[in-house]
Amino acid sequence: MSEVIYLDHAAATPISERVLAAMQPYFAGQFFNPSSPYLPAVRVRQAYEAAKDEIAAAIGAKGSDLVMTAGATESINLAFSLFQGDSLERGSGKKRALVSAIEHPAVLAAARAYANCETFAVSKYGLVDLGDLESKIAPDVMLVSVALVSGELGTIQPISDIARLVEAERLRRLQGGEKLPIYLHCDASQGFGLLDVNVARLGVDMLTLNAAKIYGPKQVGLLWVKPGVRLRPVVTGGGQEMGLRSGTENVAGAVGFTAAVSEAKRSMKSEVKRLGKLKKTLKDKLSAIDDIEFLGSDRKQLVSFLPVVIPGIDAERLIFMLEQDGVLLSTGAACAANKGEKSHVLAAIGLDDTEAQGSLRISLGKLNDTENVAQAAELIVAAVQKERARLNE
Amino acid sequence: MSQKVFVGLSGGVDSSVSAALLVEQGYDVTGVYMKNWSRDLPGMKCPWAEDLADAKRVAVRLGIDLKVFDFESEYKHKVVDYMVAEYQAGRTPNPDVMCNQEIKFKLFYEVAREQGADFIATGHYAQAQGGQLLKAVDEDKDQTYFLYRVSKEALRYTLFPVGGLHKPEVRELARKFGLVTASKKESMGVCFVGNVGIREFLSEYVEPKLGDIVDEATGKVVGQHDGAIFYTIGQRHGLSVGGGLPYYVTRKDMSKNVVFITTNLNDGNLWVKELKLQDIFTRYDLAKTTGTYLARVRHRAPLVKASLVLQDTTLQERSLQAVVKFEDEQRAVASGQSVVFYDGEVCFGGGVVV
Repeated sequence: MSEVIYLDHAAATPISERVLAAMQPYFAGQFFNPSSPYLPAVRVRQAYEAAKDEIAAAIGAKGSDLVMTAGATESINLAFSLFQGDSLERGSGKKRALVSAIEHPAVLAAARAYANCETFAVSKYGLVDLGDLESKIAPDVMLVSVALVSGELGTIQPISDIARLVEAERLRRLQGGEKLPIYLHCDASQGFGLLDVNVARLGVDMLTLNAAKIYGPKQVGLLWVKPGVRLRPVVTGGGQEMGLRSGTENVAGAVGFTAAVSEAKRSMKSEVKRLGKLKKTLKDKLSAIDDIEFLGSDRKQLVSFLPVVIPGIDAERLIFMLEQDGVLLSTGAACAANKGEKSHVLAAIGLDDTEAQGSLRISLGKLNDTENVAQAAELIVAAVQKERARLNE
Repeated sequence: MSQKVFVGLSGGVDSSVSAALLVEQGYDVTGVYMKNWSRDLPGMKCPWAEDLADAKRVAVRLGIDLKVFDFESEYKHKVVDYMVAEYQAGRTPNPDVMCNQEIKFKLFYEVAREQGADFIATGHYAQAQGGQLLKAVDEDKDQTYFLYRVSKEALRYTLFPVGGLHKPEVRELARKFGLVTASKKESMGVCFVGNVGIREFLSEYVEPKLGDIVDEATGKVVGQHDGAIFYTIGQRHGLSVGGGLPYYVTRKDMSKNVVFITTNLNDGNLWVKELKLQDIFTRYDLAKTTGTYLARVRHRAPLVKASLVLQDTTLQERSLQAVVKFEDEQRAVASGQSVVFYDGEVCFGGGVVV
């Protein structure tokens, strides 16, 4: 394919040239093991620590509280290892994890694997139902986990409001002499780079980030852990990352992550503005499609997301038609789509099977401009008309 | 009104081109993906989702509908259970034959007809004519061995659009039609077992059981195996017996869990002149079925001259037995495998080795 129009930035982003250049020296020239004793290796370690410090600074944290991982899924698993800890105050019985009904499969699977998993509801816009959450914060809940931005809908969640509910429960337990801790984990993989992400302002205890979603390398992520939260390593070995994630450090990955973070920070304001305009253009043009429905709440939606439902259309067919035109987009979370399963997210916001089948997720980013977005919109409209004509034959 | 055809789209090149040809010939075509198996096996990710996506791409390209027929429970029941039971009984089953007999040319055929299809079609290399099955034009790709138990009735309503073509022509057509499957590599063996092999599949169903490997020549124990169930007569590989000449499995004693082997390719156990068959299936009249024909003992094996004699023609096919005598000695055929018969170009039936 020569000219593709990429509308799936929520699935993957291309590494920017600057990020690639920053990583380059650490593959061959500065290949040393950061744990080795000689000076060249010490310099590599220093570069690694500096990279962590810089990422940490971007979220208002300290580098020493970051655990670098091989991506968000691993970070999430590490966060849920909380349930495997051996703290004495816990008592017996499997403790509960509360997660929203529209969490990423990585969160749902980890919650089911490590804890007694309970979900709480979201509105039809995909916004967490704070009342439902509050009612479900029982004395055996140890962790609440909510994504900053839903990967399918782009809905921005009120994390600091959720943090207040968790804090209130913490206080209640303290006053009642209950020993079980309660924490809040936030997967900020989607949204980081376009939103202010500051651990103190969000009020979270653990935060997951993913380099791959912000034009950094894949298989590079991190978990910020507030001091005092006791986790158990998912990967054991030589004791790197404070013993929480053993294995020789991925220096190139961390450096690439840092470069991506600093680029994102520098361009955040202008990029949000630019993407907002593109989204408006796209939305206006797609409104030409009869019955098209835009999902999520406009005000609470990440500027790069445009999830839609086109009733009566099999979205997968549309994707295959559009790939022939060079337009790449997806049905929802890539992981769910390629297993042929119905999206639990769309079910949670009340879409029936036919609506869910006609759902597309468009996510904008650096590879888009006014011209290619307009062109893509025309191709989408044409494909829908063609498919509807075929169905009416 | 053009005639309605339901074509099985597997996500491979042969079925894609079949569908494209039918569209070109003016039929009202509906694609059907049969979902028979979706579970991953150790060491092998089941490709069903990708296959379904490719089938859908082809349907989109051709502007036809794609339906998904979910036959997983029937497939498990009719094909997988049969396969496991046969292995457990010490035989070597042929799941492809069973799948065609029970799923593709029975269940699919019936559901398609119920839903208004005048014909079904598949991408098999074979030809159907007046309820009879004929060899494919491409002898090398001919798949009639796997189709020998398809009923006359189903064959009357079956189209094999690539049966008259050679494989390279099919690939060329796929390119001409702009099908994404044009360069897809051939799938081999039992679809769901794929490249992993039967051993890994079976190990999900049976416990390994240590047993002796005995040399036919000396009667001595020369090694150990992890279950006679995993071995087939004539098999050469997978024996952990050290060095030297290659070993072949000559026979096995399921009750004692012993596998016998030899290095002597002329060992009597490895060759047969005559075989007893059961579960006879024929599209000829029983009276005409006895006779001298060409036979094939495995897919793509050369056709050899053989006489077929039915035992008691008053019985129903399933309990009908027969004896096949080959003109020349054949490499041993495991119990549970099929011998398939050809009368010139017509593949009229066959039976299962006792």
